[in-house]
Amino acid sequence: MPIAAVLKVLVVDDQNSVRQMTRMTLEQIGIRHVHEAENGRDAMETAALQPLDLIISDYNMPEMDGLALLRAVRGHPAARKVPFILLTGRGDRELVVKAAQAGANNYLIKPFTPEVLRQKIEQVMGKLS
Amino acid sequence: MSSLEQLKQTFFDECSEALQQIELGLSDIRADTGTEETINAVFRSVHSVKGGAGIFGFEGLVKFAHIFETVLDAMRSGKLAAAQDIVDTLLRANDVLTDLIAMSRSGESIPSDFGADCRTALEQILKSNAGGQPEDDNEPAPAEFEGLDFVPVRAEQFDGSDGGEAEREYRILFRPKPELLKNANEPLFILRELRKLGTLDLVVEADRLPPLSELEPDRPYLGWVGALRTTADKKQIEEVFEFVTGDCELEITAVDTDAGAGDGDPRADAVGAAGAAAMEPAPAAEAEVLQPTPPQAATNAGADTNGAVPLSPAPAPKSTAAAATTTRVELEKIDRVVNMVGELVIAQAMLGQVVHSLPEHLSGRLVQVLDEVVHHTRELKDSVMSMRAQQVNAVFQRMPRLVRELGAKTGKKVRLEISGENTEVDRSIIEHLGDPLTHIIRNSIDHGIESPADRITAGKSEEGTIRLSAEHRGGRIVIEIRDDGAGINSERVLTKARERRLVSADAVLNDDEINNLIFLPGFSTAETVSDISGRGVGMDVVRRNIQEVGGRISLKSERGRGMTIQLALPLTLAVMDGMVIRVGQETYVMPMSAIVECLRPPGSDIHNLIGTPGMLKLRGNLVPLVQLRDLLDIGSSASSSEERVVIISDAGEGTRFGIVVDELCGHQQVVVKSIEASYGSVPGIAGATILGNGRVAFILDVEKLSDIASSQNIEAGVARLAKAEPKAATAAA
Repeated sequence: MPIAAVLKVLVVDDQNSVRQMTRMTLEQIGIRHVHEAENGRDAMETAALQPLDLIISDYNMPEMDGLALLRAVRGHPAARKVPFILLTGRGDRELVVKAAQAGANNYLIKPFTPEVLRQKIEQVMGKLS
Repeated sequence: MSSLEQLKQTFFDECSEALQQIELGLSDIRADTGTEETINAVFRSVHSVKGGAGIFGFEGLVKFAHIFETVLDAMRSGKLAAAQDIVDTLLRANDVLTDLIAMSRSGESIPSDFGADCRTALEQILKSNAGGQPEDDNEPAPAEFEGLDFVPVRAEQFDGSDGGEAEREYRILFRPKPELLKNANEPLFILRELRKLGTLDLVVEADRLPPLSELEPDRPYLGWVGALRTTADKKQIEEVFEFVTGDCELEITAVDTDAGAGDGDPRADAVGAAGAAAMEPAPAAEAEVLQPTPPQAATNAGADTNGAVPLSPAPAPKSTAAAATTTRVELEKIDRVVNMVGELVIAQAMLGQVVHSLPEHLSGRLVQVLDEVVHHTRELKDSVMSMRAQQVNAVFQRMPRLVRELGAKTGKKVRLEISGENTEVDRSIIEHLGDPLTHIIRNSIDHGIESPADRITAGKSEEGTIRLSAEHRGGRIVIEIRDDGAGINSERVLTKARERRLVSADAVLNDDEINNLIFLPGFSTAETVSDISGRGVGMDVVRRNIQEVGGRISLKSERGRGMTIQLALPLTLAVMDGMVIRVGQETYVMPMSAIVECLRPPGSDIHNLIGTPGMLKLRGNLVPLVQLRDLLDIGSSASSSEERVVIISDAGEGTRFGIVVDELCGHQQVVVKSIEASYGSVPGIAGATILGNGRVAFILDVEKLSDIASSQNIEAGVARLAKAEPKAATAAA
């Protein structure tokens, strides 16, 4: 059973406000180690530097979008096993299919409540304690 | 402010950036100068606004952004052509979005029918062109996509073997030497790094560990041997030890687990290095995107797989690249650094004076070091100032909307071309640019650009053009507003000026002088006063605004061809180029921007008119003189009149005057300190500064000085152009 307080999560979004909001929501469900990156490229650098337990990434980003990041993560020797949840808009149905093929563990539709966030993480990581 | 409130502010700041991107992008698309990435960037920006608005609960904003985004999506996927009228609607949609964001920011409630026209227009576009309606977006976001066949993948089931890379085993031996610790490396971190590469199985060699009594805490006694199973190649493993090679015993040997792979013999090194690339089984389709490539390469790779060719060979992602590597710092902090640098500049100037006053045998080496300090201080100052600099785009971006709205209101067709929007200038200057620029552009559209019918009659294209540009020139920022309208009608201007008694009836003026009359207070030539410009606030206010920040405005007009207004502004208000002058025992600083020329005229050129401080005959013209000594009430001056220097100054209003001083002490950069903040406003004094000798010197407000002088001169009978009769001024307003 993963312990929420020790999980290291990387939040990737080009909008600072959305990153902060996601961080706050993560904190509400007890996840305190949150790294941030503002695009896929920065995220990849972070993922290569330290062990992560989870990546939550937006899709729409300049530089390197969420899918490209997912593929890069899955191709990286050190990071390829890190669970990956893709943030999507409510219209991004087809995107989720692509993400599944590329190896996403789950998806999360914006905007989301702390409950939905917890549910989505638990579907991947098992029940949080 | 609660953290949520702070986040909302951050969101709104991001919105401003997004709006700017949208405006720029759509303008590019409209002008057909966009690339494939342009529409994507616009879409992304609207999408970001929508996403953030959803998170922060701005429903009205989400609703509108959604339909806006849907149209952009249709355009981006090629279902919708970027026709002029559609792009115009999108530009209008951006205006509505701008208003909605402003309302959300200020906490106003948004009327339910706000932007309804535009919304309908967007829906119409979708219905008739893209064959669809946007999905209704009013429901709260679902947790799942209904009916989507997606099973969340549990992390532990997820073995990551989809990459298909084979794991190899390496034997690792790692024995740190004392130098490793001395060089501030930590074996534990290295081992943790190593573990990230795969499955690490290590055994500690503790046999060198001495009894506790003999243990020296700064010596490494432990070593590690073991095996690492990883998909990484030898080079990647070696990289982990990159900083400690030489400071440890290290062996990394590939172990032959599968037939044919690796060999474990001394040749392993060569295989490790050279074979690394070959051993990476490249998943063909994804090869390019897999590696974190530089942005350019990634974009190109993406475009290629779509089978599309970029329009131009290297479409530089204009502002996206700049936006990606920024950090937000509170303005106050930067202002504090700017102030401290100001102090440093002063202290350094003082040091300079001390050093140069030393005898040479003492100062020799000091001078060298001081030169270094001067050099670095200047660089420090420049970089700090550049930190506070903003792109003029902050102001320019408001203009397209202005032009659109005024064009619609006046029934004129106007195209705005913007260049140099990335030119940077101190934000204190930016703040002073908005109003003048708005006014000038209003004027251009209202009085300059002709109606479509008139333009065709004049043999011009139906659509008028206003070019707005900015560039750095000679340590200043020069902003130019050029239109291809009718230009100034000199006869009418002169007639008006005479009617209002702004010039005497018999004055002979050349075209340039006539054109500059529009800068006089209370001047307005529009036949009818429209609600766009000409409501009393005239070009005189524009000029005053520009002059207040040490700028100059100039105008060129060609009858029937158009008009160009040029604003030249200092790059910053905190540091200024000044001329240090002496009058009697007092030292003052005069802004270089106010100085036209300095000369020492022969006594015969100075004509003493009764009751005036004199007139200088300069190249055939008479220039009124101002005795700074009298004006500022400084005791008698030491130098004889022959030695005095006259500074010809442009006080604005098209007139020049000469300021008589005793000595020019030199040109120097000065840090402007406000005296208003700590003392109060003093007429004729713009501020103060500290000179290299540690003395405080006042900075003269040249324009004000000319006002003071002229009010004194009026009694003496010297009439001045600027002093129009109050009656005339009211009539004009």
